[in-house]
Amino acid sequence: MEKETRLQRIIFHLRREWQIYAMLLPTIIWFIVFLYKPMYGLQIAFKDYSIFRGVAASPWVGLEHFEHLFSNDQFIRAVWNTIKISALNLVFGFPAPIILALMFNEILHATYKKTAQTIVYLPHFISSVIIAGIVITAFSPSVGIVNTVLGWFGIDSIYFLTKPEWFRPIFVGTGIWQEAGFGSIVFLAAIAGVNPSLYESAVVDGANRWQMMWRITIPSILPTILIMLIIRIGNIMEVSFELIILLYQPATYETADVVNTFVYRQGLQSGRYDFAAAAGLFNAVVAFVLVMVANTLSRRYSRTSLW
Amino acid sequence: MSSVKLSQLVKKYGNLEVVKAIDLEVQPHEFVVLVGPSGCGKSTTLRMIAGLEEITGGSVSIEERVVNRVAPKDRDVAMVFQNYALYPHLNVAENIAFGLRIRKTPKAEVTTMVAEVAEILGLTDYLHRRPAELSGGQRQRVAMGRAIVRHPKVFLFDEPLSNLDAKLRSQMRAEIKRLHKRLEVTSIYVTHDQVEAMTLADRIVVMNDGIIEQVGTPMDLFLNPANTFVAGFIGSPPMNQLPARVGGTAEAPTAEIADQLLPLPPLPELAERIGAQVTVGIRPEHANVHKQGTNPIKVELELVETLGSEALLHTTLAEKPFIIKTETEGYYDMLHDVSSFTVNTDQVKVFDADTGRVFGQGAA
Repeated sequence: MEKETRLQRIIFHLRREWQIYAMLLPTIIWFIVFLYKPMYGLQIAFKDYSIFRGVAASPWVGLEHFEHLFSNDQFIRAVWNTIKISALNLVFGFPAPIILALMFNEILHATYKKTAQTIVYLPHFISSVIIAGIVITAFSPSVGIVNTVLGWFGIDSIYFLTKPEWFRPIFVGTGIWQEAGFGSIVFLAAIAGVNPSLYESAVVDGANRWQMMWRITIPSILPTILIMLIIRIGNIMEVSFELIILLYQPATYETADVVNTFVYRQGLQSGRYDFAAAAGLFNAVVAFVLVMVANTLSRRYSRTSLW
Repeated sequence: MSSVKLSQLVKKYGNLEVVKAIDLEVQPHEFVVLVGPSGCGKSTTLRMIAGLEEITGGSVSIEERVVNRVAPKDRDVAMVFQNYALYPHLNVAENIAFGLRIRKTPKAEVTTMVAEVAEILGLTDYLHRRPAELSGGQRQRVAMGRAIVRHPKVFLFDEPLSNLDAKLRSQMRAEIKRLHKRLEVTSIYVTHDQVEAMTLADRIVVMNDGIIEQVGTPMDLFLNPANTFVAGFIGSPPMNQLPARVGGTAEAPTAEIADQLLPLPPLPELAERIGAQVTVGIRPEHANVHKQGTNPIKVELELVETLGSEALLHTTLAEKPFIIKTETEGYYDMLHDVSSFTVNTDQVKVFDADTGRVFGQGAA
């Protein structure tokens, strides 16, 4: 009886709100076609896959690919590189848009504020290929602005993009330049949602702008910061693949090769689909665990969570 | 010495003048209520006193010091906001202590002061709760606690009770009144609710369209409104206003309302206005339906609204709505048969039909 009424309730609800569910449909279809159906192919990580036999007919090999993976120095290096680059991204790249948003919030002159915002949003809309081109040109040993400026101080040209020790700073810096401005929009929106009378009350209480930023603005946007942090932690294993492909070269693999580029080279360039699938699956599982952990911790300690 | 003084205070937004050169003196320990309809400039006036709005013209002085150019924090005022303005991420104790912390008051002192204020407001058990875990009334008490703890020279209240339901509002009203009696801090209180104004104020300032219509004690405004606006704003229900023509003689003037005659008080202004149009004002409470007087005024009864001990009789007089407030005790059965009322001549107010000013109060 109980079950029946529940089903009836769902049907009644679907009928009454069908327009809303109809609007949801394209997204659900998109998820199924592009994200769930391809998961069928994940099984090749556990198979000796051959494109001639197809996914279903290839023989099972158990964890063989994973064993190879973890004894592969290049893969281990790629995992560490991913973690290091992501950690740098998190430490320097995550606070950047928050700081930008707080700074924009303090600008009182409207035209100046709009101009500054447009300038920092712009790189987001430029294709990564062009961004990489700009970076490569800027750091070029012969014509690059960076080496030109260093030359003024009598410093010899540095071949930045061929030196492994320079790859991470350049990559992380480029990422900040490209995305920090656009990322600040979320935080600006959060700041705009803070009740203005909190500031008025603080003004009467004697707070200055600095105190208001620390005691009102930042605590008020903390839930947004946490949500963004959870998303960010979930994406730790997803280093911006395009930009790495565009900026790295064999000379910098030592610091630049990440799991995604490793998967790309193994799978698409060398045709080892099963092996690459195993690497990719490993990556995804780690990412999944990270999101779960971050979300649970956040829910427990700050009552803010994605779900 | 006045506690707060406004001199020719003006606020303009572009060309729009929202406060038009008002003058007001608030005495020490006084509780003054600014009341008026939405957009009359009362909140803007309060915010200028607090320093949250720039002053366009004139001056605000607090204890004889002109504060036009003084930052809000240095004016020594505390403000209670309509939406409480509590910091959601801080608990009650931290919210109350906020202003003290900002001023770098020693920690031990903050703790005792917060405890003291919490005691006064009955918040001791809630000190560790966050605003989201409090009821509306408790939140408003925290907001007041934040104002009280700083021992300011002046309290400013900006419609502090309008977010509360009717029952809680009357409770908090009494609490504010008690608090003022206990602390005796000069208070300026803004509301659009005339009941709040009547019950709280030592003096009421009625504002309309950026000017002050009248300043006086609650009973003064009730009994002697300076003009038709105040007469129509104060009192619940407000004063009945009827267009009439002055007739009779200088010694015994009458109002001709349609074909009925209502004796008017022999005011000197009326003597010069025999035959002129005026507005006659009669409080609903002053229209007597039980006593058979000499000149009964006939009305047509449309609706009886029973409120318990009182009833409102909605009638029409000369095709204008006319409300009579009367007791029900012992008369209930006859309320539906009311067809006329009498009124004491000295309780009838007469206003200039053009300017709305009352006659017989000199230049008040």
